[in-house]
Amino acid sequence: MDFDFSDDQVALRDAVQKWVEKAYSFERRRAIVQAGGFDRGVYQELADLGLTGLLVDETNGGLGMGPVEAMVVMEELGRGLVLQPLAQTLLVSGVIGAYGADDVKAGWLSRIASGEALVVLALQERGARYRLDRLAATASQAGGAWTVSGNKHLVAAADRADAFLVPAVANGQPALLLVEADASGVKTTGYPTQDGSRAGDLALDKAPAVLVTANGQAALEHAVDVGIAATCAEGVGVMEQTLALTVDYMNTRKQFGVAIASFQALRHRVADMKMQLELARSMSYYASLKLNAPAAERRAAMARAKVQLGNAMRFIGQQSVQLHGGIGVTDEYIGSHYFKKLTQLEMTFGDTLHHLGEVSGRMQDTAGVFA
Amino acid sequence: MDLAFTPEEQAFRDEIRAWVRANLPAEISHKVHNALRLTRDDMQRWAKILGKKGWLGYGWPQQFGGPGWSAVQKHLFEEECALAGAPRIVPFGPVMVAPVIMAFGNKEQQERFLPGIASGEVWWSQGYSEPGSGSDLASLKTRAERKGDKYIVNGQKTWTTLGQYGDWMFNLVRTSTEGKPQTGISFLLLDMKSKGVSVRPIKLLDGECEVNEVFFDNVEVPAENLIGEENKGWTYAKHLLSHERTNIADVNRAKRELERLKRIAKTEGVWDDTRFRDQIALLEVDVVALEMLVLRVLSAEKSGKNSLDIAGLLKIRGSEIQQRYSELMMLAAGPYSLPFIEEAMEAGWQGDFPGGVLANAPLASTYFNMRKTTIYGGSNEVQRNIVAQTVLG
Repeated sequence: MDFDFSDDQVALRDAVQKWVEKAYSFERRRAIVQAGGFDRGVYQELADLGLTGLLVDETNGGLGMGPVEAMVVMEELGRGLVLQPLAQTLLVSGVIGAYGADDVKAGWLSRIASGEALVVLALQERGARYRLDRLAATASQAGGAWTVSGNKHLVAAADRADAFLVPAVANGQPALLLVEADASGVKTTGYPTQDGSRAGDLALDKAPAVLVTANGQAALEHAVDVGIAATCAEGVGVMEQTLALTVDYMNTRKQFGVAIASFQALRHRVADMKMQLELARSMSYYASLKLNAPAAERRAAMARAKVQLGNAMRFIGQQSVQLHGGIGVTDEYIGSHYFKKLTQLEMTFGDTLHHLGEVSGRMQDTAGVFA
Repeated sequence: MDLAFTPEEQAFRDEIRAWVRANLPAEISHKVHNALRLTRDDMQRWAKILGKKGWLGYGWPQQFGGPGWSAVQKHLFEEECALAGAPRIVPFGPVMVAPVIMAFGNKEQQERFLPGIASGEVWWSQGYSEPGSGSDLASLKTRAERKGDKYIVNGQKTWTTLGQYGDWMFNLVRTSTEGKPQTGISFLLLDMKSKGVSVRPIKLLDGECEVNEVFFDNVEVPAENLIGEENKGWTYAKHLLSHERTNIADVNRAKRELERLKRIAKTEGVWDDTRFRDQIALLEVDVVALEMLVLRVLSAEKSGKNSLDIAGLLKIRGSEIQQRYSELMMLAAGPYSLPFIEEAMEAGWQGDFPGGVLANAPLASTYFNMRKTTIYGGSNEVQRNIVAQTVLG
C-alpha cells in the first residue's frame, strides 16, 4: 500500500506541466476553439513529448508505461484545460496492444505512438446511451475482407482522425474493427462540443475494415475502462485548478469592505469543495490502480470511481461558478470553461446515474476497497 | 504506487486476525455485530484481554510498554478488531490521556498512571466540555485554585462519555483569568472518588445514559496531579488533537456496518427495490472513497512525506457516513424500526419482537444515537472552519 509517485512519474508530471505553461495559454486555447476545437499541431506536440505512445510498448516506439503514468499525464492536461483526445489515444493503443493481432499491432501502434495516426473509438450510438451491450452497427466478412456499416455519434475529432476503432456486431457477437478515414463508404461530419473540443458523426456504409478482435465485448469494456480512468484523472486536474481559481478569486474580491474569503457561509462551501476534490482524487487513484485487475473487479471499480467523480465534478463546477458571482458565468473568464469541461466529463464514458446503476447491480455482501 | 499491502503487512494482519479470533469472547462480538447494548463489564473485559497482551495501548511507543507499531500496523489492528466485532476501545485512557502523560507528564506521573491505563484496570473519563463551553472550549470556567500543595476545584463538566464508570478524569481547568482565555487553562488529573465529585448521568434520546454531568464542589486535588506547567494545558490538549489519527474516520466500522446494512436490506425485502438499493450503492462508493482517503494518509505517514492537508476531512466524512448507514438501516426496516422495546436491545431477550425480526430492535435507537457523531470531537462546522483555513488561509 503506497501512494507515492516514483521519481520518473514526478518527472513526467513536470514535463507535461512545463509544456502546458509554455505552450498552451488560454489565448492559444481560445484560438483553437474558434478554429474548430482540434489542432493537429498541438496533438503532435503531445506526441513529441511521448504522450501518444505512453501505453505503447517500446518495440513499437512507445514508452511502455502504465495506468499510473497515464493518470499523471491526464491530471496535468486537465489542470491545463487542454483540448486534445489523448484519452482516446490511450484507450485505443491500450486495446490494440492487448487484443490486436500482430499485424494490426505492427501496422498501427508505432504510427499512433509517433502521432502520425490519430485513431479514436467510435462508440456512441443513438439507442445505446451509456450501455456497452447495445450495438446496432454490423460487420460482415466476404472473401476474407471485412466491411462495417452503422452510424456513430460524438466521435472525438471525427473529421480530423485518421482511423476509427469501431465496435460492430459480427456473426452475432460484438467485435472491434479498424476503419480508415479515407476508405470508401466512410462519411464524417464535425461539430464543437460544450467544452470547446471537436467531435463529429461517423456514417459507415460497407466501409472496408480490419478486424482487431472478435472478442469485442471484453475489449470494448477494457477500452472504456481505460477511458474512465483517464477521464477521472483529467477531472481531478480540472477540479484542482477550478478550486485554485476560486480560492484566488475569493481572496481578491472585496465586498462590504472585506475579501469574500472571510465569509463563513462561503468558507464552508470551499471546505466542501476540498472534500469532494480529495474524495475524487482518492477514487481516481483507485480507478487507475484497478485497471489491471480481473475484468469483473476492474469494471466494478471504474463504476465506483465514476460515481464519485461525477458527483464531485458537478458539485465543484457549480459551486465555483456561484462563488465567483457574475464573472463566473462569462465566456471571457477562464473559470466558466473549467465548469463546462467538468460538465462534459461527467457525461463522458457514463454519467453518475448510469454508474450508480452499475455499482448497485454489482454489489456484493462485502464492503470496502479490498472487497 | 500500489494498492496492495506488502507481504509483511499482510502477515501482520493475519497474525492479528488469528489472535482476535481466538481471544475475542463470542458473546461480546455477538452484541457488537447486532448493535445490542454493551455493559461496562463487556467493555472492560475486552480492554483487559487486550491489556494482558500489551495491545490496549496499541498506539504506544515501545519505551512506554507499547508495541511500537507503524501507522499502517495500527490501522490493520483497528481494522481486524472492527471486522471481528470487537467493541471500540474506550479511548479516554489509552488513546487520549496516555499520550499527554507520555509527552508532558513527569516520570512519577508516568510510572503512576500509565500501567493502570495499559492494563485496562483504571477507567478514565474526559473533562473538557462545560454547559457554556462547547465549540468555544477555551471559554471554560471550571476553576482550580492553588492552595498550598493542593488545587481546589469548583465547577461543572458535561457530556462526559461513560463518566458514570470513571475512576479517574483528566480535566481542562481554569487556573488564570489573565490574558487570552487559552493561556489560563491547566491540565489536571482528578480521582473521581474524591470528596465533592458528583456524577449525574444524562439520559439521551435513545434511552441510554451514555454521557454525564460531573460536578466539582470544593474538590481537593493534590498539586502533583498537574500535568506539565500551570496555564499550559491548552497546548497539551492541542497536542492531543494533533495526534488524533486516521481512526477518527472509523472506516473499518463503516465497512462492517455496510455489510450489516446489506443483510438488513435483504431481510426486509428492500434489497431488490432499485430506489433503495441505489442508496446503498451510493453509500458503498462513499465508504470506498473514505477508505482510499484513509489509506492515502497512512501511505503519506509511512513514507514520511506527510504534507497532506486532508486529515481534517476524515472526521467530517467519517461521521457523515456513520449517520448515513444508521439512517439507511432504520429506513430499511421502516415501520418495524419503530417499536421501542429496551429489553429487546439486551442480549438474550426471549420475547416476541413485532414483525418477528429481533435485529430490527436497535435500529432506530442507533440512528438517534449517531446524531452525536457530527457534534462531538469538534462539530463538523468547526471542522469545516479548519479545512477552509488550510485552503483559503
